[in-house]
Amino acid sequence: MAFLTRTRRSRRAKPAGNEQNRSTGGRESTVPSFRDMALSSDLDANLDRLKEIFRDCSDIVFREFLFAQKEQIRLALVYTDGLADKSQVSEQIMRALSLEVPVAAPEAEITRANALHFVKMRGLCIHQVRESARVADVVDAVLSGDTVLLVDGHAVALINGARGWEMRSIQDSQTEVVVRGPRESFIETLRVNTSLIRRKIKNPNLKIEMFKLGEVTRTDVALVYIKGIASVGLVAEARNRLARIKIDGVLESGYIEELVQDDPYTPFALLHHTDRPDRVAAYLLEGRVAILVDGTPVVLLAPTLFIESIQTPEDYYEKSQFMTAIRMLRLLALFLSLTAPSFYVAIISFHHEMLPTALLLSIAAQREAVPLPVFVETLLMEIAFELIRETGIRLPRPIGMAVSIVAALIIGEAAVQAGMVAAATVIVVALAAIASFAVYYSGSVTVRLLRFFVLLLTSVMGLLGLMTGIILIVTHMASLRSFGIPYLYPVAPLGSADMKDVIVRAPWWAMFTRPGLISKKNRRRMAQGLKPEPLPTGGERHCWRKAGLTAGRPVFCWSRFFLPARFCLFRFSLCSTPVRTPGSQLFLLLSAA
Amino acid sequence: MARLVVGLGLRFPGKTLFQYPEIILGKAAGKAVALLYLWWFFQNCAENYRSFISFLAVSFMPETPLMVFVAFALIMASYGAYYGLEVIARTNQLFLPFVIVSVVLLFFLSVPEMTVNNLLPVFEAGMIHLVKSTAAPLAWFGEVVTFAVFIPYLNRPGQAHRVALFGILGTAAIYEMTVIGIIAIFSPALTAGYLFPVLNGARIIHLANFLERMELVLVVIWTVAGVMRVTLLHWVLVLGSAQWLGLKDYRPMILPVAVILTALFMLIHKGILEEYYFLAWVWPLYSLIIFEAGLPFLLLAVAAIRGVGGKSG
Amino acid sequence: MSKRVAFLFLIIVLLGLTGGCWSRKELSETAIILGAGIDREPDGKVRLTLQIARPAAFGATEGGGGGGGGGAMVGTVWVVSGTGETVFDAQRNLSLQVSRRLYWSHNIILIFGEDASRQGVREVINFFSRSPQPRETMWVGVAKGKAEELLTSHSAMEKSSAQSLGFLERMKAGLFVEYKDFIRDLACPGTNPVAPRLELLYRGRHEGPVMELGPGYHKEAVLTGAAVFKDDRLVGWLDESETRGLLWLRNLIKKGAVTVPSLNEPEKKITMEIIRSKTKVDPYYDGEKASFEVQIRVDGMLIEQQSKEVFTDPEVMAALKKSLAADVERKARSALEKARDDYAVDVFGFGEAFHRKYKKEWPALKEYWDEEFARSDVDIAVEVRIRQSGMQAGRLSIRRGAER
Repeated sequence: MAFLTRTRRSRRAKPAGNEQNRSTGGRESTVPSFRDMALSSDLDANLDRLKEIFRDCSDIVFREFLFAQKEQIRLALVYTDGLADKSQVSEQIMRALSLEVPVAAPEAEITRANALHFVKMRGLCIHQVRESARVADVVDAVLSGDTVLLVDGHAVALINGARGWEMRSIQDSQTEVVVRGPRESFIETLRVNTSLIRRKIKNPNLKIEMFKLGEVTRTDVALVYIKGIASVGLVAEARNRLARIKIDGVLESGYIEELVQDDPYTPFALLHHTDRPDRVAAYLLEGRVAILVDGTPVVLLAPTLFIESIQTPEDYYEKSQFMTAIRMLRLLALFLSLTAPSFYVAIISFHHEMLPTALLLSIAAQREAVPLPVFVETLLMEIAFELIRETGIRLPRPIGMAVSIVAALIIGEAAVQAGMVAAATVIVVALAAIASFAVYYSGSVTVRLLRFFVLLLTSVMGLLGLMTGIILIVTHMASLRSFGIPYLYPVAPLGSADMKDVIVRAPWWAMFTRPGLISKKNRRRMAQGLKPEPLPTGGERHCWRKAGLTAGRPVFCWSRFFLPARFCLFRFSLCSTPVRTPGSQLFLLLSAA
Repeated sequence: MARLVVGLGLRFPGKTLFQYPEIILGKAAGKAVALLYLWWFFQNCAENYRSFISFLAVSFMPETPLMVFVAFALIMASYGAYYGLEVIARTNQLFLPFVIVSVVLLFFLSVPEMTVNNLLPVFEAGMIHLVKSTAAPLAWFGEVVTFAVFIPYLNRPGQAHRVALFGILGTAAIYEMTVIGIIAIFSPALTAGYLFPVLNGARIIHLANFLERMELVLVVIWTVAGVMRVTLLHWVLVLGSAQWLGLKDYRPMILPVAVILTALFMLIHKGILEEYYFLAWVWPLYSLIIFEAGLPFLLLAVAAIRGVGGKSG
Repeated sequence: MSKRVAFLFLIIVLLGLTGGCWSRKELSETAIILGAGIDREPDGKVRLTLQIARPAAFGATEGGGGGGGGGAMVGTVWVVSGTGETVFDAQRNLSLQVSRRLYWSHNIILIFGEDASRQGVREVINFFSRSPQPRETMWVGVAKGKAEELLTSHSAMEKSSAQSLGFLERMKAGLFVEYKDFIRDLACPGTNPVAPRLELLYRGRHEGPVMELGPGYHKEAVLTGAAVFKDDRLVGWLDESETRGLLWLRNLIKKGAVTVPSLNEPEKKITMEIIRSKTKVDPYYDGEKASFEVQIRVDGMLIEQQSKEVFTDPEVMAALKKSLAADVERKARSALEKARDDYAVDVFGFGEAFHRKYKKEWPALKEYWDEEFARSDVDIAVEVRIRQSGMQAGRLSIRRGAER
């Protein structure tokens, strides 16, 4: 326990550099230090040392055997039972080395001295083999599922990538369901997850940098980005923030999220998280970085903008007009779920004058029998709803369903019947609850929390309290940054070019730039002028614009240079035939001037 | 006036209104002028708090003690001031479209209630009266002096002239629209008697027996706009007093300034009628002559004569 | 930082717990006023009569459904009445009778009693402008008799007589005056206020089992014309036909009909429904006497015809239009003459029109405008245009009529 607190404290207080010594120093008492040890050339010594390290680890297997051609060459395998692929270990390593080593050329005498080279080059039938002379690497490799082959007489271990363990198969995404679009989602195995991304972005510029985080758990963490699109500064920043993490264990990406986010106290999600590869790929293409953590399907994305909590991957697959409408609906939902109960309380207990007379009388009739003040009533209903939701999530699915139905019936129906709550309150609270589901999960959690904050303020000051809450929240949001990018980015500060993808989802041919603040240098994502144009009806030959998709270099584009001229030209085109080719545009411009 | 202020600001890049008087007038006189401005901003800020709150208190929650409003407003303003100009500006940017859209919406919703005849005849009262009565709105626009404080924080100070002018014109347009709308609804005779004519204007909107009782929108606008204004002034005050005292960071000043403002708030006026009179007749001349035109002109003149500061933009 | 946040939270929670009830008004502790009436007692006190909604009863008819036949027996409103030196004083006195906080924001109609109006309404109207609760959009009416009586009546159609009266004005068939229009007219020197006259009459007849409970006829509060004010004092009434004339002259005609006798068969009538109309007033001033030219332009639709002319004939049409115009002019003139000659009051806003055109002369005339108006000449010109003739071009039964 002492060590835990110690590492945590050092994480905050010390810069990344001299922390290394501190934390290893702190750990010395519990785990034997092998970090700086090198392997010896004596197999027995190595095995003894490893056995010492892995003492009482019943799942570590040590297997000694002899080389097929030269019996005096002793070999030993170390691997973790359950993490290594047993059939590979026995077929491709043991069988290959102890039985089937091809007969070497006669002049190539196999000795203890060149055994390692021979084993690696001709003996092992394993796809991925690397060498290491450090005990630490060996230990890490074994624990990560690799199989370590030690050769007598060599102070170098061969680390065979023969991993294979029980894992969940790739399934539909659980948190972000789409109607149109890929179904697959990430699983708990990091390597599978990176492969899912790689399958979407087949480009050598897709970089996957590995980190091992967690002093005890040694969890693999991958920093994924596209070189040339993600800004260098952002990648370096992400790298630094990951590198300074010193923690005993990383069991989920949430640990990392809270350790790297810009504002430690905010309830808002400053790193987006998702379990969908297509979303990750889309974000990478916009110049962001993804942080994958082994052992969880949840991937972190940075930097994140607030508006993304009402966006889904499907927005980009479905028709733009429709998705624009849906986004407006979601924005409304976000607003409703934050303010609906507060608004209700404000009106019913402070500002009766806001309601039309008929509505007021009908609500007054309902409230006649209710003994509680509106605020208390609403608060109770909110809490009841949160309870139902919580039990619905936590209980085993069949029971959970039953419980939520019963609870909803009791609260919704019986409470109104008994005159405990007004029907209007149930409607409002239910509306807010439903609306919160329309927002992306991480956003909805925040909103659910803040709803109570606003409700509390409203109960004190009515509409002014509600406005106070909203202003405080917005001020707070305006102060937030995610990896240096203002959280409210395209709206405040205004990025007019990126407003195309905020509430409106512009058609793809119009979104030819990446988000400005995020991808700093490399802005263009497609050639301009890809807007499909129907063939002119006359005999005139249609002239397609060149659509060269060049990553990295901006496409030369007339309208960028003569943007004001475009308006003149538009007026020209009203009276003359439409002018399409850039050359004639220029000519027209000159003649106009 | 805006040109005056911006011209001053551009002469001394990186310096605020509280810093360059010292350069222009020397240590003691400069400090004194800066202190005068500080005092004016204090008063201005307190007045703003006062009018912001009395609207809410009078028309919506007469029973609630003023201190509670002050507490709420101060929490919001201090929170914004704590984060500084950038955050205030961003928050503003987010709210501004909503405010403008709502104002325009209210205007158009009340069009059916308007009678153009109420506006006629124009310029009946004669020039002297006209000039006298424009003093109040003019002083109000004259608060563009505040601009002098954040010119050094602009990304492109070169555009300051344009921005200031644009800001004034935009505000004036909205102001004019509201005034004309209200007079067209109620006729001048009635409007003169109202304390908050816009509120009365919003209250009468009713379309199709459904879209009615729109003063809620007005409260929202008023709160947002009022808080933004007060926050900005609060920040100016905090920054100004910190700079005047020579502090490096302005944040420690937030609490003292808040306390002073609360006291000032409670002291300046005894009631709404006194406030009404003061804002209509005393305040405009006082601030217009001394702080919004007089002192900036003096400063610029002295700076030009003594040749201090960089070349004017 | 965390301390600060915690502190902020503490403040909020404390505020909420300790005194968060300054302006809070629970709905179940509120008495919603639907209608208010103001009378004058002989001793000079103000009598305030309030019609208060009983929400429980409002809900019973909506949600209950199976409540049996007794629904009509439960009163939806409760009428209380009290006196005081001022309106608010009377309201404070009423709070000894009413167990809830009186709430004005949903007041639908404000009724002045006849005697209160004759004494002057300015004394009793200030509360409604000054208090933030009453709204500018409430309707205004003057009771013939006591305002209290009107409010104690109940409506057969709506749930309360206040609602019924308010909706009657909202229909805009008769004179309709919102509070803001009333005080505007009161404030402007160029015009005088008018308000609809409200009366309690035997109108309507109960159907079904309720008949057994009471007399067959039911007294209902209805609109029966207009009350004419001179400044803030009631000086007289206009009957229903004159009220139409008032509406014509004030450019307030929204809907209605004009009926004239047929050209050939005077005992048979023809009715035109008004689609839209526009009244324009042009003042002239020669230094000593003001005169006005009023132009009324009516667009109408031929809606009913008892006689059997064929209106496709341009001459017949022209004659009809002329006859319709004459009728409109007659009504307008009757209102004008009553106001000008009998009461010597400008209730048409002619003074404002004058003010707009002769702003130099106005200040001198402002003070005694009504006298000036009383000796002015008014010329009324009506132009009628018949744009539509309903769904018929001619009469279907015309042939049978001709045979007979």
